[in-house]
Amino acid sequence: MHKISLKFSIIITTVALTAMLAGVWLAEIYREHDSRAMLLPDQVMTLFPEPKPLEAFALTDHKNQAFDLASLKGKWSFLFFGFTHCPDVCPTTLAVLARAHENIAKNAVGAEDIQFVFISVDPNRDTASKLRQYVDYFDKTFLGVTGDNAQIGNLAGQLGAAYEVAITPGMENYPVFHATAVFLLDPRARYHAVFTPPHDAAAISKRFKVVRELEAGNMT
Amino acid sequence: MRWRHPVFVCLISALSLVPAASEEAGVSVRDAWVRETPPGVTMMAGYMELRNNTSRSQVLLAASSSGFDRVMIHRTVVKDGMAGMAHASQIELAPSASFIFAPGGYHLMLMNPRRTLRAGDPLVINLEFRGGLVLPVAFQVRK
Repeated sequence: MHKISLKFSIIITTVALTAMLAGVWLAEIYREHDSRAMLLPDQVMTLFPEPKPLEAFALTDHKNQAFDLASLKGKWSFLFFGFTHCPDVCPTTLAVLARAHENIAKNAVGAEDIQFVFISVDPNRDTASKLRQYVDYFDKTFLGVTGDNAQIGNLAGQLGAAYEVAITPGMENYPVFHATAVFLLDPRARYHAVFTPPHDAAAISKRFKVVRELEAGNMT
Repeated sequence: MRWRHPVFVCLISALSLVPAASEEAGVSVRDAWVRETPPGVTMMAGYMELRNNTSRSQVLLAASSSGFDRVMIHRTVVKDGMAGMAHASQIELAPSASFIFAPGGYHLMLMNPRRTLRAGDPLVINLEFRGGLVLPVAFQVRK
């Protein structure tokens, strides 16, 4: 009786331990699967399987400081291309990004390692002081950045952000065409993901939370 | 058929006079708003929902406001991944149809504000329709 009972308890213990380990393993698989399932397929954001490292570029921010590859290091950067004479898409997108920033800042991890950058493709009209006034209105932490056409073209080209400034002599309100996507660069200055319109603050901040967690997992 | 009975025909004719009477209202506007913009901005956008209350089509031809140098009907168009602006010469509203001006789509482009508009400021934009109807619409300035 005593012998059987010992054998029995060993079997029970083994079964219980196996079940616990299986449970932990399944939970891990599920967690990973679940977080990835949130991202694919997705109408809001495209996450690249292999983030693309950016090459050197040189722009200037609204404080007349250099904005280049080094400015991206150590921070997640949300980039949006536009111009301040833009009545519809740009103010709409910047208002959404300001709300997304608020959402992210409320998160436990916070928003210390995040920057939002508005890149004007219209340096002819968008001076540093104009950009400062513009981005400050939406969010005091936003950066307004521009450069000459070749400098803007360099970064825009690396991200596939098409734009066209149809400057016409004598025409005050010349047309400007620009990408509507919001580009996400990771703290290693790699093109990590892209958000496609219509932009929504809650959707952007939720996706970003998952991306940041996944990337933190990859680094450790 | 009972529904062809003269009493019913009269009743239906009488009821159909009700919408005819409200044709005076012509076109109604709901949720008219303008996004507050940073100081110094020269281009703003107005959004709204238009509704044609008549049994005839109505055509929005132009808009104007004492608050701006010029108001134009525009649409944001996205082509080859780039957003740009297309001018719309007029907006035709089918009988009883609605038409929405919203961010990323149709909007009233408001050029050169006479002063910086802040949330809560009063703003009236006049909508001009074919046939001479001019509708003054109060737009809400929103943050």
